Amino acid sequence: MKKRGRGIACMWYPIGFTVAANPSAAVVKINEDGTATLLTGTVETGQGSLTILAQIVAQELGIATDDVHVVSADTDTTPMDTGAIASRTTYVTGNAARLAAEKAKQILFEVAAPVLGVKPSQLEVADHKIQVVGFPQRNMHIGDVSDRARGVNGQPPIGSASYNPATVALDAETGQGKPFATYVYATQIAEVDVDDETGEVDVLRIVASHDCGTPINPMLVEGQVEGGISMGVGFALEEEIMFDEHGRQRNPNLTNYIMPTSLDMPKIEVDIVDSYDPTGPFGAKGVGEPTCVSTAAAILNAIHDAVGVRVTSLPATAEKVHAAIKAKRAQEARQITAGAA
Amino acid sequence: MVEKKPAVIEKEAQKDALELLRAPAPAPLVPLPIEVLVPEARQQTPAVRQRATRSDARTHGLGQTKYIDDMYLPGMLFAKIKRAGVASARIVSVDTKEAEAMPGVVAVITGRDIPCNTFGPSLKDQPVLADERVFHAGDGVAAVAAVTEQIATEALEKIHVEYEPIEPVLDPLASLKLETPGLHAPSPNIYGHKVIKKGDVAKAFAESYRVFEGSFRTQMVEHVPLEPHSSLATWDPNGRVTIYSTLGRITLGRADISRTLGVPMSRVRIIATIVGGNFGGKNEITTEPVVALLSKKTGRPVKCTFTRPEEFMSSTTRHPLIMDYKTGVTKEGRILGRQIRLVLDGGAYCSWSETTLGKACILSAGPYKIDNLYAEAFVVYTNKTMTGAMRGFGAPQVCFAYESQMDDMAKALGIDPLEMRLMNALEEGSLSPTSQKLHSVVVKESLLQAAERFGWKNGNGSANGSANGSRT
Repeated sequence: MKKRGRGIACMWYPIGFTVAANPSAAVVKINEDGTATLLTGTVETGQGSLTILAQIVAQELGIATDDVHVVSADTDTTPMDTGAIASRTTYVTGNAARLAAEKAKQILFEVAAPVLGVKPSQLEVADHKIQVVGFPQRNMHIGDVSDRARGVNGQPPIGSASYNPATVALDAETGQGKPFATYVYATQIAEVDVDDETGEVDVLRIVASHDCGTPINPMLVEGQVEGGISMGVGFALEEEIMFDEHGRQRNPNLTNYIMPTSLDMPKIEVDIVDSYDPTGPFGAKGVGEPTCVSTAAAILNAIHDAVGVRVTSLPATAEKVHAAIKAKRAQEARQITAGAA
Repeated sequence: MVEKKPAVIEKEAQKDALELLRAPAPAPLVPLPIEVLVPEARQQTPAVRQRATRSDARTHGLGQTKYIDDMYLPGMLFAKIKRAGVASARIVSVDTKEAEAMPGVVAVITGRDIPCNTFGPSLKDQPVLADERVFHAGDGVAAVAAVTEQIATEALEKIHVEYEPIEPVLDPLASLKLETPGLHAPSPNIYGHKVIKKGDVAKAFAESYRVFEGSFRTQMVEHVPLEPHSSLATWDPNGRVTIYSTLGRITLGRADISRTLGVPMSRVRIIATIVGGNFGGKNEITTEPVVALLSKKTGRPVKCTFTRPEEFMSSTTRHPLIMDYKTGVTKEGRILGRQIRLVLDGGAYCSWSETTLGKACILSAGPYKIDNLYAEAFVVYTNKTMTGAMRGFGAPQVCFAYESQMDDMAKALGIDPLEMRLMNALEEGSLSPTSQKLHSVVVKESLLQAAERFGWKNGNGSANGSANGSRT
């Protein structure tokens, strides 16, 4: 018979890593028409990070995402980056990109200020314009300013910057210190059906509430959460590299290494928790890795809720869940017998 | 495409017979430049918080993204790597003569041909190709470059390696014992150790209403990216090499490649293509020095793409953890103290174990206010596939342990699991296990928001919730 259960799990996760310094550098060039090019050493590995970086640069320059072209991942042409690892791209590379854009923007402000009759510090960007703070009608198109920077002032707008999160090394004996600049937090709740005759677990629904600071692109946050949950479902129920007694893998293929397909995916509901981190670019932290952290815990708690067995080793395969249910029943039977005696 | 045809054949057999015999047409070419109808979100200001489509969405959607396996340079050769197939052994000899004599085979290299045969992000304990000693069954021992992939694969069978087997260490708990001989002697098998100490755990346990103990284990899993590891190397006549690679971190990758090749960094160019999935699995060099050396030896571009079994056996995986938790609580459910011991199965090489060890240890307390904590973590060598960076760096493992125990404690104390978490959750300004003052902390908000959406308080998802039909 199918038994329904629910399980909750929350988590925290740092942005960046501990072992060494964690820098990124970036270069932003503003073209004569007010569009821009970002040079970054990070790699697009499918998560959409280049789009996030384009949005950060665009925001700093007051232009649109589509106005920013990103050149990435070439050691000859792009600056140093620690890479697509440790959920650091939005936070660390994003901060570097924002700082580089700010430096390039500063050149535009210096060019526009005398034309608009104000000091550079009185200028701001908004919707492809450079305008006087408090007097938005006094403005110039960013392309006109950029072209003037090159053609009149002889100072093409380009900025480069690097960013390294401030951390404090850990004490060797007590481990006390500040290993990470910031953390994100999340909760996932799973609803499952467990067949108490076969041990088979069906994950029906997962609600995921994730903090990522400012969501630079909510759609890409949702994509990360959905992907992370699929990884979590596999970790919870199916995936396992098995070894024979000689230390050789027994299932190094997709026939015998079982992972979730689209048909195994539960209904996913993603919530982005309102949060702002003043140290991140426009308040952003990160979201990549944390999305897969609490899924297995939530599912295993839901199994416990449904059939009353605590599976303490992953994955909770049907065989393992079934064995745990059988053991529980045997124990209950013994208790009844003992009670009767 | 061909499979769908039979129904049509019955109707118009003669007409379509010729068409059926033709090879399936490649994906139709899209004329360039493409008239792009830019989705609105990409043109909006301010840009942040826009649901902007990705810049690579169109090429992905059209099947036009070029991965390394789609790249062919004139005269390019294909490389394949011979895998040890034994978990622990000394290499007595490698005989490549028969493979070299095969028609179509252009070059063969072994571990002895690697100029500097060690690398690794923290400990440099990993060879590009094993030369003296095999530490796990997925170790490469030789590599072939041939005119076709098939010939390269067949040539691997003609390479004869003589091994002197050494008893493998497979159990991390056995490896943890000091009497177990060190795999990478003279180094001990415990190659990483970390302690987080705060307050007085013994005192906290003595003051606790109840102390709960639990032991949890997790398994080894693979990243399983759709695109396997791949690289393509080509040298120019000035002695400068360009390597196209699936690496996720090219700056540090270039340092490792230049070091293993013994070539200055100024003569190495790494270009990372769009990568078809990383998840932490593409943070280290794999085939890059091999294709670079084979390309240098043959004077032709050389490409190597992992097979799916290689992806499992010869790339990094997730650390299996053995986790012992002991937690003292008040009658009301407040956590007073927690003691944790983690043992990480580090596999054959260090890789990103130090980072995983550190994160697992710091995060193992959970997102909770715990004044008295003692967390200790070890990572040990075994003769299994190396474990390294993988989405979460130890966090999914410890979360499984601390959240399982949280529910066990809530149940035993008769407290709702949500309430027990809210009672202990970190808050703005809370001190972390390393006494870092935390900012922008929203654990409680995420708990409440998820519970609201799920309908936790209405009983959704529970056995009675489904019975009374309150489910949405």
